[in-house]
Amino acid sequence: MKRVRVFTAILICKIVRSLAKLLGRGSSIPGKYALKVCPDILSYLQLPELSIAVSGSNGKTSSVEMIAHILKSNGLKVAYNKEGSNQIEGVVTFLIGASTMSGKVKSDVVLLEADERYSRHIFKYFHPKYFMVNNLYRDQMTRNGHPEWIRDIISEAIYDDMTLILNADDPLVASYGKDREGTIYYGADILDSDTITHEGIYDDGKYCPVCKKPMHYQYYHFNHIGKYKCTSCGFERHKTEHALTKTGVKEGNAFITIDDSYDIPVFFTGIYHAYNILAAFTASVALGIEPEKVTESLAGYVLKSGRISDFTLGKTEGRLLLSKHENSVSYDRSIDVVVNDPRKKSVMFIVDAISRKYYTSDSSWLWDINFEKLNEAELDNVILVGQYCDDLAVRFELAGIDQSKVKVFETVQEAADYCKDNADSFLYVITCFSDKEKILSIVTRRELA
Amino acid sequence: MKILYLYPDFMNLYGDNGNVRILEKRLKDQGFVVEIVEKTITDEKIDFEGVDFVYMGSGFESNRDLAAAHLKKFAEGLKKAIDDGVPMLFTGNSYDILGKSITTADGRVTEGLGIFGFAFKEQREKRYTGDVILEDTASGERYVGFVNRAGVPSDDTDLVCNVIKVIGTVPMKKDMARRNNLLGISLLGPVLLKNPKIAELFVETICKRQGAEYKACSYPHSERSHAKTLKALTETEA
Repeated sequence: MKRVRVFTAILICKIVRSLAKLLGRGSSIPGKYALKVCPDILSYLQLPELSIAVSGSNGKTSSVEMIAHILKSNGLKVAYNKEGSNQIEGVVTFLIGASTMSGKVKSDVVLLEADERYSRHIFKYFHPKYFMVNNLYRDQMTRNGHPEWIRDIISEAIYDDMTLILNADDPLVASYGKDREGTIYYGADILDSDTITHEGIYDDGKYCPVCKKPMHYQYYHFNHIGKYKCTSCGFERHKTEHALTKTGVKEGNAFITIDDSYDIPVFFTGIYHAYNILAAFTASVALGIEPEKVTESLAGYVLKSGRISDFTLGKTEGRLLLSKHENSVSYDRSIDVVVNDPRKKSVMFIVDAISRKYYTSDSSWLWDINFEKLNEAELDNVILVGQYCDDLAVRFELAGIDQSKVKVFETVQEAADYCKDNADSFLYVITCFSDKEKILSIVTRRELA
Repeated sequence: MKILYLYPDFMNLYGDNGNVRILEKRLKDQGFVVEIVEKTITDEKIDFEGVDFVYMGSGFESNRDLAAAHLKKFAEGLKKAIDDGVPMLFTGNSYDILGKSITTADGRVTEGLGIFGFAFKEQREKRYTGDVILEDTASGERYVGFVNRAGVPSDDTDLVCNVIKVIGTVPMKKDMARRNNLLGISLLGPVLLKNPKIAELFVETICKRQGAEYKACSYPHSERSHAKTLKALTETEA
């Protein structure tokens, strides 16, 4: 009976998937039907020997895309959820899509972007050989509660037969590896941009995630990411298998260096981006690709993240820095870019729809962003826009931003009209996926990466 | 003017620091010189003597339980301050501490301060998150904000607001504990930004206790934020 159910589930999933494809739709509906017929269908699929899941708050999709690229360019056949459908229905859809009618996945590697909250349900049925966790930040509170809640939820998805690949620099993530032999760590060594003191509004690394006593940091890369040691239980940053050892610019070309020997050209040296590359590097080497080959593949890779778009608005030149609403760390990194740019400039923040996927009016995360840092920059105008412009206005007043420079607009159109034809001041726009089209539909754009 | 900010680095999930900053600004607008005293989990003493306002924000459940055990050592001073009418605001899951006990998802029980009759029981299947509208049963005043919790109170006799709308997964019917000038509210983050009436209430009470005349000030961005959020939450389907 069971075999019939499994066969039927696979058949239905494949048929619905073909139909959806014909209609030009990629979705997780086929998996939903398969799960209806056979709720534990995932335990009947035969995975190849190599499989890896990637989870964490930020950079999952970028890391997965890069790993897929590296593996494919080294001749491996990869099955992965490229549409980013990382909940259980999506995982069923892509795995059955890649399998034979008997449920054997026809690829050399299964690569899975795993949602933080759903991994515990998915890995009840199968265990990837490797499970990588990139970082745990304050992110999408509406879904995720808080970082420690997510740490505990993900820990329910971790089994003894998995090998963990962890970011050693994030104490909450690294705590998964405590007393776990064979764990692979990656991280950044000391970098020019590091600070000795903590920068930011809140410090999620102040207390040890294991014993809750104060931690001491030797240096910070950003926020609570750095080299730490607990003053009480001794929990500390683990030594790494692979390390980011340098970021820089050589003859006008940006690059990062891994393990002091592998130079990888990059479009921009943002530490965020560097971590994603390092994660992909570490995962690919664990999966058996030679580091030299990984470096070669990454050299030719242009990350299509859409995180940066250059544009013009009349005579005004500008750049959109895509950040994530409800994720203060991502905003902090964008603010760093603005502050470090020596040009004459203005900056616009758009908070209009907090999410594309659900409704919330919560703007508490604005108080976790280090807008105070903008006081270090010479700014012409600070433009606050959208449904939440009033929340931004109060936040910016208390951040000590020169109020004569602050302009508040309800709509992006009004803000754009105000900023138009100002050739003297470069315009940075910082917003989220959920709001980016509101500005991109007005400006003339040039996609960079 | 002394604000006592409890556990600012240990209980400060999602922008809770905004409440202290907003209140500080409003008190300065009244002409007060404001001092903020921070006390945290590593401090050996917390003194409530001479304090004009007390604030505590929300945190990881594990932090909250440790803060409860720590604060219990100074419960006498806190209770006296509550009886004396010192204005206090406990937001998010920090007001759980003021009840009888907290039982976390793993079954551990932490004793509360026993100021209120409720006990909190938590689980780990589902996070209770969502936008809510609260309505004060006495005044009819409406408050808006966001709840992010793992548990609900066992008993809501001490709670003075009805939860009249939830957009999300919050299974609460009532909220807001009140004793004299202490308010405990499940909303987290900068509650005083989206609820200027609560900020006003505190500032007025503080002025009165100081024997200072309360000056009406206008905070149009905060007023608009409240009005826009209330409208959006009312119109959005639950």
